[in-house]
This record gives sequence, C-alpha cells and structure tokens, in this order.
Amino acid sequence: MSLNETPNPVEPNSVEPDTRQPSDFQKRPHLKGRLLRLCQKELRETIRDRRTVFTLLLMPLLLYPLLSMALNRFLLTSDINQNGGYLVGLASEEEGELLGSYLNDPRSHPPDSILEANNGELAEFKLGLTPDADAVEALRKNEIDVAVSVEQGEQEGPPTFTITAFKGDAASETARRILVERLQWLESSVAQQVAKEATSDYQSVAKVRVAEIGAADQLPLLATIVPLVLVLMTITGAVYPAIDLTAGERERGTMEALMASPASRFDLLFAKYVAVVIVALLTAMINLFAMFTTLWASGLLKLLTGNDVFPWLSVLQILGLLILFSGFFSALLLSLTSFAKSFKEAQAYLIPVMLLALAPAMLSLLPGVKLSGPLAIAPLISIVILARDILAGHFEAAGALAAILSTIAYAAAALAVASRLFGNDAVMRTSDQSIASFFHRPKKPSLVPSVESSALMLALLVPFYFLVSNGLIRLVEIPRDQLSLSMLFAFNLLALVLTFGLVPFFVATIGRNRYSSTFRLTCSAASGLSTMAFVGCLVGSVLIGLGAWALAHESFVIGESLGIGGLSEERIRQTLEAIEAQKEVPFWLVLLTFAVAPAIIEELCFRGFLFSSLSAVLTPARVVLLTAVLFGMFHVLTGNALLIERFLPTTLLGLILGWIAYRSGSVFPGMVMHFVHNALLKSVARYHESFHLFGSELNDQAHLPAIWLVGTTAITCAGAILIGFSTRRRFRSNQ
Amino acid sequence: MLQVESLMKTFSVEGEDVHAVNELSFHVTGGEVYGLLGPNGAGKTTTLRIILGLLEPDSGHTKVDGYRTAEHPIEVKSRLGFVSASDGVYPWLSVREMLLYFADLYRVDPDLASDRAEELSRVMDIEKLLDRRAGTLSTGQRQRVTLVRGLIHDPPVMLLDEPTRGLDVVGVQTIFQYIDHLRQMGKAVVVCTHRLDEAERLCDRFGLLLEGKLHHEGTMSQLQTATSREHLVDMFVDMMTGGAV
Repeated sequence: MSLNETPNPVEPNSVEPDTRQPSDFQKRPHLKGRLLRLCQKELRETIRDRRTVFTLLLMPLLLYPLLSMALNRFLLTSDINQNGGYLVGLASEEEGELLGSYLNDPRSHPPDSILEANNGELAEFKLGLTPDADAVEALRKNEIDVAVSVEQGEQEGPPTFTITAFKGDAASETARRILVERLQWLESSVAQQVAKEATSDYQSVAKVRVAEIGAADQLPLLATIVPLVLVLMTITGAVYPAIDLTAGERERGTMEALMASPASRFDLLFAKYVAVVIVALLTAMINLFAMFTTLWASGLLKLLTGNDVFPWLSVLQILGLLILFSGFFSALLLSLTSFAKSFKEAQAYLIPVMLLALAPAMLSLLPGVKLSGPLAIAPLISIVILARDILAGHFEAAGALAAILSTIAYAAAALAVASRLFGNDAVMRTSDQSIASFFHRPKKPSLVPSVESSALMLALLVPFYFLVSNGLIRLVEIPRDQLSLSMLFAFNLLALVLTFGLVPFFVATIGRNRYSSTFRLTCSAASGLSTMAFVGCLVGSVLIGLGAWALAHESFVIGESLGIGGLSEERIRQTLEAIEAQKEVPFWLVLLTFAVAPAIIEELCFRGFLFSSLSAVLTPARVVLLTAVLFGMFHVLTGNALLIERFLPTTLLGLILGWIAYRSGSVFPGMVMHFVHNALLKSVARYHESFHLFGSELNDQAHLPAIWLVGTTAITCAGAILIGFSTRRRFRSNQ
Repeated sequence: MLQVESLMKTFSVEGEDVHAVNELSFHVTGGEVYGLLGPNGAGKTTTLRIILGLLEPDSGHTKVDGYRTAEHPIEVKSRLGFVSASDGVYPWLSVREMLLYFADLYRVDPDLASDRAEELSRVMDIEKLLDRRAGTLSTGQRQRVTLVRGLIHDPPVMLLDEPTRGLDVVGVQTIFQYIDHLRQMGKAVVVCTHRLDEAERLCDRFGLLLEGKLHHEGTMSQLQTATSREHLVDMFVDMMTGGAV
C-alpha cells in the first residue's frame, strides 16, 4: 500500500506525451568538428599513457638494433666466405711450414669450374701456433677454427695430416672440408702430372664447365621474415589502446556515464577506432623505419633487396599495406575487446586470437605459397604474402587487388560487429559468472539447451573427437597399418557414437534439457503434422536422399575447379584403393559405419541438439545456415587430417537436411534422407563396375552426364515438393 | 518532469527469478528533491538504469519531460543528468578536457560548454582542479568533478545514485549544497541512497523501497502520519521485520 498523495502528480509542461515529436536535439548548431573532437579525446587519452609510449617508441628503437646485432653474429659464425680467413692452429713451426707450402702450391687450388660457383674467391687460411703446443685444446676453447697436426711418414713416405673440427660449428666444419679438398686437389694434380710423364697416351677422364639458368626460386630469408615481424609489431601497437579504450571504459567506471549520454554508439566506437588505427599505424611506421634504417646501417639490406640502396618505394608500398592491415586488425581487436568487461577478460580473448593469427602468418613463410585462390582473400595471410611479394620485387595485380578489397571488407564487417557489441550490457552483472556456472546444473528442467550449452557442446566436440579417433587405436596397441579394415570401421563407428552421440547427450543431461524437445524426437502429432503428412515427409526425404548425391558431387567438382580443396592425383589413387579395399569388408558393416550410424548420430547432434538450441535465438534461415556450416566444418576434421574438399558438398547436404528438419519440425525425416544418401554412395562405390553398363564411369573429377543430372534433379525436386506440400498446414496455422 | 509507471524488472540469478523492481510508480516535478530510499539490493539503481534506458523494463514505462524512454531514448538521455558514486574518470585527461568531452557527447556548443564548465567549477569549488590530470584527484575531488560533469548540459532532471558514498563529512556537506543548488535551479532531482539520516535532511518527498516494491511514499509528515513513526530508520525497521506495511 502506498501513499500516493503527490502534491502535483501531473507534469507542468507535459504535452500529449506519445504524440510528441523529437526536438531538434540532433540538429543542434555548432557541432562542426564534433566527431573530430571525440577522436582527439581518445587519441589524447592513449598517447599520454606511458604504456602506449613504451610499445610505440621504445620497443622498436631498442628491438631492431639488438635483433640486427644478433643476426649479424649469426651470419658471422655461419658465413662460409669468412672475412679475414679461417684460423688454423698448429703445434709446431715445421708443421705450419709444410701445410703453408701445400696450401700455397697452385696445384692445391680447386679447378676454375668450382671456383666460379663460389664467386671466384679462394678461401683464406691463417696459420698460427697454439700455446702449449696443443692445437686441439685451443680448438676446444674456440680460439681457432680448425686444428691440424702433421706426422712425418717413415722413409720418404707422405706426411699424414690430421684435421680436427669442432662438431656442430659451421665455420669449423667448413674450414675442415675446404682443407681436405685442397689436399685432395694437390694429390690429384700431382697424380695427373706423374701419369702424364709416365705414359704419353694419358688422357683426362672429363673436363667440366659450369653454367646457370633460371632465377632463384627461394625468396631471400628476410623478405619472408620482415613482413611477419611488421605485422606482429602493428598488432602489438594496437592491442593496448584497443583494450584500454573499450574494456578500459568499464574498468574505469566511465562506461555507464558514456552509455547514459545521448551520443550514438557508432560515433563513440568510430572515435575509438580512429585512435587505435592511428596508434597502430604510428607503431608500424616507427617499426618500419627503425627496421630499415637498422638493416641499411648494418649492411644487411643487401640480403633483403639485393642491393645497398635504401628501398624507398618498397617501404612506402609496405606502409600502404600496413595502413590497410592496421585498419583491419584494429577493427577486429575492437570487436573482441568491446565484448570484454575488464582488462583481464579482454586479454583472455586476445591472446588466443593473436596466437591463431600467428599460425596463418607463419604459412606465408613457406616457400611456394602464392597469392592466389583462397589465400588471396584469407584475412591476415593475404597481407603478409603481398608484403613479402612486394619486398621480393614482383607481385600479381589480381591477387593484390583481391587481398586489398577483401581486407577492407573484413575491416568494415568487424567494425560493424564492434559497434553493435560496444556498450552492450553496460550494467549487466554477467561478468561474475564463473567457469563452474557452465557446468552448473540448473534447478529447473528446460525444453531446449541454451546457446551457451551449444557453445560448450561444440567446444567439447573438437578435442573429444580428436582424442577418441586417435586414442582408441593407440589403446589397442596395434599399428594403424596392421589393423584390419573391419576393425578400423568398428573403431570409426565407436568414435562417432562416443563423440557426436555422447557429447550432446552429456551436455543435455547436465543442462536438464528435456531429451524429446532437445533432440527434436517428435513424430507426427507432436510436430503439428497429421500422420499422412509425416509419412509424406518421410517419403519426400527418401526421394531427396536418392537425388541429392548428384548435387553434392557437382558441388565437389565445381569446388575443385574453383581451386577450393581439389584432389591431387595421389589422393584420387588412395581413394580408389580404399574403395577396392572396402570390398573385403562385409557390406552390412560398411552400411552400419557409414550410413546408419551417421544418419542417426549426426542428425541427433546437428539437426537435433544444435537446431533446437539455436532456434530459440535465431531465425529459421539462420539456424539452417549455421548448422549446415558447422556440419560442413566438422566433416573437414577427420581425426588427423583436414579434408577441405569435403566442406562444400557436406555444407550443401547440411542445408538440405536443415530445410527438411525445419519443415517437418522433427529429426526423423532428416535421418531417413541422410541414411538413403550415404547408403546410396556406398553402394555405388561398391558396385560401380555395374554402372559401366549404363555407359558412364563414375569419376571424381568429371561432371555427371546431363541425363543423370536431369534425372536426379527431378527426383530431388519431387521429394522437396512432397515435403513442402505435406507440411504446408503446419506453416499456415503458425502464421 | 519525471514519471515512472508500473515498472517491472526481473533478473535471473543462478536460475532463480528475482524481482528487482516490482510495480514501481512515482512522479517527480521541477524544484523537487525525491529520495528513493531502501537498503542495498532494494532496486534503486535498477530503477535509475531503466529511466536512463540502460536496462529495458519487463513492463511499465518511464517518461522524462513527456518523452518515453523506450521510444525516444536520445531525447530522454539528453534531458537527464546522471551521477553515480561508482563513476570513474579518464585518468589521462585533464578535468577540463573531460568536462568538455561530455559536453560534446551531449552536443553542447563548445564555447557555451567552456563557460558552463568555469561557472559550475566555481559553484563546486573545483576551479583550481580544472587543469589537473583527473587520475591525480582525491575521492572527494573526483566526486565533485563527476557532479559537475552531470550538469554540464544543464539537464532538467538529475539522477543521483548514492552520491555521498565514500565521502567524508566535508564531502557530504558539499553534496548537500549541490543538491540545494539544483533545487533552487528548478530541477527535478532523484536521490537514491541507503543513508536515511542524510535523506531526511535533504529530500522533499520520499519513496521507501524494499525488494523492488514501493511500500510508502510521501512527504516526511505524510509518512509520519501513515506509519506513526518519527524517523525513516524506524519506518524501515518496521517494513523489514514485516511490521506495518
């Protein structure tokens, strides 16, 4: 009961409230440069922070001189044409004189063909006496490169040279090799001379000339490392301001005041974005110039570009790429840090992302990786490869354009995501949810799993699948190649049940989700269909299952022609061998492993658990799309290898299965279609010789004959129409 | 000036539903200081956040100057000044830069904002701090800066969430002067606090909130008549022990 005796409950200036139009708030005058001032504030806040200054200025200024010193040291110790010659230690002057006379003998010099291949330079040796007459000890102390001792032969016999090198020391081993070779040249020259004198018909066995064609296939070492280092340094520059300007707002307690203001989130985030990009760019520029100046000053530039001139053009081109990259990565960072509620949380999100970013960046270090196909539009990788190509002095315009445009698109997308996330839950208390709350059993049962449950399920599936599919075989202690195919199939079956079967079941049990609604185990009445309509769905699914393999096959062939995970000759041969081998396995086991079990287990997981969980928060189209993509992705993972070529056909199949699941409201029709489809593929593989009768040979690379395509498409369409027709009431009554 | 009508908000805490705000209604007019009082967790802050549009109510609505928060969030936000004890500052900006930044967020003309910052700083005695780095301020100084920040766009309605938390006697006195200043300026003020003794001296009208529900509302004399109790503290003790409700 409340005392509602307010003195003046009616507002004095209250106009008819709900018909009131917005005032001219957004058109207030003198707002020129407002966005600029907002950016200024963010930039000020970051630049004044000492920690920013540290990563921005001190790191690059100290890092590169130190790195170049380390690199120089490495190059010095491993250089074969060592400046100043190799130090050879000897115990006595006599030994030194003998070795010196041998080395100075022009007959000990390598033939011109070999000298030429070595830039025409003859290796130099400095001979010196070692203290205490112990050359080996001096070598051990790293005072000399190689130790030589000479024993005079008995009675006019040749002297014996013992040449000792330090194991693992490149310079020492090279010095020994060259010394051995020089003595060999002398030996063979003398032998030749003697032979010529002894017999008049001496003829040399062969004369050698050397020549070279083509360009060096391998890129200079630095051309591959420099872009990677620059990318990493740019990331380093962007990380701190990105966290500070987003998650930092919450941590400082300024977020609530910010969200309480009428400024639009996009304005706020855009100002932050500009600040992060500028700091990242400044870091990148300082790094770029520090790096090139160091390289130029230390004379290492030659290794990078082939000459000693400061490469202004390349530096500017790379700077352009870094602008692009900072734009992209800053947006990506902001989208992650906007989500975080504290510095700690933001760092927890960023570290895995940075490590993940490192993996593709390393890929670009591999020789032979080119800026084409999917790599040209792969985020991060494309920029690193392009920077590498620019440094190497040649790049393809088409690939470069694809890389630039795709990166801009990714940046825009990430920024859009960030501005949606920024300030969400400004005041929510979800941050105190512990990891235990994931596994916390709710007190009340619920119909379908939450989205968090789905995320947990997916996160458990990947490692579990890897462990089970590889670990099971290790447990029985039989090497993979000695396992019979039947055993292997049985393991496959078990792995499938233990992962895609058990994990969703486990998560649903913990979450107290009702199994029937979670896995969508609904038959006719429960899904709102009459028995006839449900039977219609099942028959339609059989028809689609009979026809859809052709579509999957075509998408596979198209994917291959687009360069997405094509098959190598080797893989095709392996596949054909596997098909032949499978004929030894009883057909029921093949069907059980590859048709029955996947149809039941995978459908329960993807069109059951995931479908019901996601349906609570997403539109049907998005649910179908997302489950299909996840379905495709999990088929790429096969325990120990990535089968990228499986992505397209499986995702397509997932789309069809998702549509059936959506229309029928049940998991069962999808199971039927999945089974028919897989069983048909396995039957065709087993009995494909019979198909020769139809005048066609099944081939993984070729399109199907037109008549087949028409036939299978017609069957698929008939199935789809039947399902659509059977379920029309369900949707009409829903509307 | 400010209307709150049948507000409902339920949170799920560890799987259980908690009614943070339960059928809450009250009105505040210009020149009036309204004390929204209650123990910790009574739903005071949640109510303010709903008024600000930071949280969505499950049902009911709030209106500022005739604008509904849900429909015209920008109009509402530009008419509200909000100060909370948990508000932070930007440590690397000067006080002046921070005040002008917020003026920009509220789209106040920069010249006008500059003048206002100077004038309000005189009132709140933070003139000497204007060019200090915000990170170096003491708690009391910081609180005063936050109060000035909340007023920089001259809003007709002020929402103060635990404005005296963590302040010493002098600090509390400054807040009292500030609220008095707001009253004289004709602003509608909502003060949320659990310090009942302070509220008694400060507010014109009171809403006594417990578990999201408004148990009593009125001026001090109205409350005294209705509860037969002299002080707010006693009224709350009765409410919490299930006495006269």
